[in-house]
Order: sequence, then C-alpha cells, then structure tokens
Amino acid sequence: MQTNELAASLTSRFDSRILGVDGFPGLLGRVRFEPAIALDLFRTFRDDLGFSHLTMVGGIDWVDHREVFYALWSDADRVYVMLSANLPAEAPSIASAVPIWPSANAHERETWDLVGIRFEGHPDLRRIFMPEGYAYHPLLRSFKIFEPEDLEVKVRSE
Amino acid sequence: MSAQTPVPAKPATLPTLESPQSDQSLPVVNQPGVPFVEIEALRAREFIPAAKEALSSLLKEQAEGKLIRPVFNWAGRNSLFPLHWGLACCAIEFAAAFGARWDAERFGVVPRSSPRQCDLLIVNGTVTWKVAHKLITLYEQMPEPKWAIAMGNCATGGGPFRTAYSVVPGVDKLIPVDVYIAGCPPRPESMLDGIIRLERLIKERGE
Repeated sequence: MQTNELAASLTSRFDSRILGVDGFPGLLGRVRFEPAIALDLFRTFRDDLGFSHLTMVGGIDWVDHREVFYALWSDADRVYVMLSANLPAEAPSIASAVPIWPSANAHERETWDLVGIRFEGHPDLRRIFMPEGYAYHPLLRSFKIFEPEDLEVKVRSE
Repeated sequence: MSAQTPVPAKPATLPTLESPQSDQSLPVVNQPGVPFVEIEALRAREFIPAAKEALSSLLKEQAEGKLIRPVFNWAGRNSLFPLHWGLACCAIEFAAAFGARWDAERFGVVPRSSPRQCDLLIVNGTVTWKVAHKLITLYEQMPEPKWAIAMGNCATGGGPFRTAYSVVPGVDKLIPVDVYIAGCPPRPESMLDGIIRLERLIKERGE
C-alpha cells in the first residue's frame, strides 16, 4: 500500500472529515482526522486496512491546542502509520481506543497523566506515574518546575 | 396523674472500690525508697501499686541509668538491622557491602526483609512521589527505636533529578534522617562508614 492509495481509500469513506494524509519519513503516512470520527476510523484501520497493533499513544501541548497521536503497525504490510488529531486546549477529550486495541490502556493513562487529555470510555482512567490527587499535568507548558525549598509535601492526599 | 411519687433519697457518698478510705497512719507509698518491711504491713489492695512503685523507683534510680540503658544502647547500636528495600543503583552497592569482600555483618548489620524486624531504614535510591507514601508506611511499621540513613545523592537531595516533577527532592521531606551518605552511588566503604558514624551517633545520644 502506498500513501496515495491510503489517502484515496480514507477520503472515499470519510471524505472531508479526513483533514489530510501527509507523507512522513519512515511511515506510510500521517493521517490528520477530526476527533469526532475517531472510533470509526480506528475500526476501519483495524478491520479493513489490517493495522492489528497499536504501538503507542502520545500527546503534545501546542499551547493553543493539544494534539493526540497514535502509531499503528500492520503485520501484513509491515509498515507504520501515524494518526493525529487536534483537540481544544480547554478540556481536551477524545474517544478511547481501548475497545479497538486493548494495548491502548496504559498509553492512554500515561497521556492523561502527563498531558491531560481525557479518553472517553476508557475502562480505568487513573494516573499512572504521579500519585492520585496530584494537581497538575506535568508535561504541559504551563507547568512550572517547582523549587524544592518551596515544596509543600502532601503525600497522603486521598 | 399529678400525684408526686416520693423519690428515695440518695446516700451522700456511695462506697466504691476505687476510692477506699485512706488510712493516714500507713506509710506514704508514692515516695521512692519505701522499705519492704513497711510494704508488708499494707492492706492487700494497696500492696500491688506500692510494690510496683517501689520496684520501679528502684529500677529508675539505680538500674536504668547505670545498667539498662547502656546495655540496650550497646546492644542496639551493634546490631543494626536495616530494611532491605532496594530502589535503584545504590541498592547494588548496598548488596555488595554484604558480600564476601566488604562483609558488613562484621558490624552486626544484617538486612531483614520485614520492617517489623528492623530498626534502621537505609533509603538507597531515587524516591518518587508515587512511592513516597509507601516509604512513610514502611518507616512507621518499624518498631522504636529506629534510625534512617539517606544513601546516595538521590535520597539525600534528589540528585540529578532534583527539579523533576516526579522525584522527591530528598527523603528528609518525608522521614527524619540521621546520617547522609554522599556519592552516586556511594561505594560500600562509604556505606560502612555511614553505619559506623550512625553507631557513634547512637552512643553519643544515649538512645
């Protein structure tokens, strides 16, 4: 499969809700999509295009918006593809990929913990690196590195 | 219906076992050093507290200061049992100190696996906020008297991760620490030196 074939088959299904399919070095392509079609797109990629494995989920804070991206691996074509969607900076959320690929579970917990993107429908969306009750999402650009001397120790905050 | 039933008058004082009528002619038992002969003359109800008081005052005055505390201090500081709770690379040096080459058991240091059997918590490694409350729980599970050693730069002050969002900048934010050992990681000699310094500290404090 080539990048233009992928773009053609996706636009025939989702037309304008696919915002673009770009070439990307080392990947089959980078698919930008609207967050509303996330579950349908995931199902299409797993069932019809043969991307059986979700390698990773990540998030980026671009200050005015946030981006969530998924890396998929196809065993049949032996190729990676990347999906990415822009979310609003205020209360970003997208449908969880756990019903499609169970390996998304820990990755989405990590993305929620560090970047603050909520995944609707996740079975167990708890923090994974920081303790429960921690007030911040530390990889946001608005997070300030604290001075250890000013630190207020609250360990048991449940 | 409005007839008043006469209430039986209560006695002014009820006799109770807790407040016996004290006999002023008996010796005052609250003062230390009551001779045993006079205790014999006490009534049975007063015998046990009087004997307890006499014995404990005897122990307090003569035995505790000169015998019990020094013996417990000597025994405790020469048999420090650290908790085996390896966190990071310092735990490798910690383990090496108990091998054949350095043999920390020469100093009576035997690592145990249960905090109930330990009186020394050696924090060896990077403590994150996620594991911080478990560190406090382990420390609180250890019986008194207990001491803590912060081993390595991470446990002392956060080390290279001092400003990271997930790392506790020094375990003295969480538990009281007696001895800090510098190094990244400290060699087993440094750890043995820290333990010997802690033993000296315990001897000076008289704990």
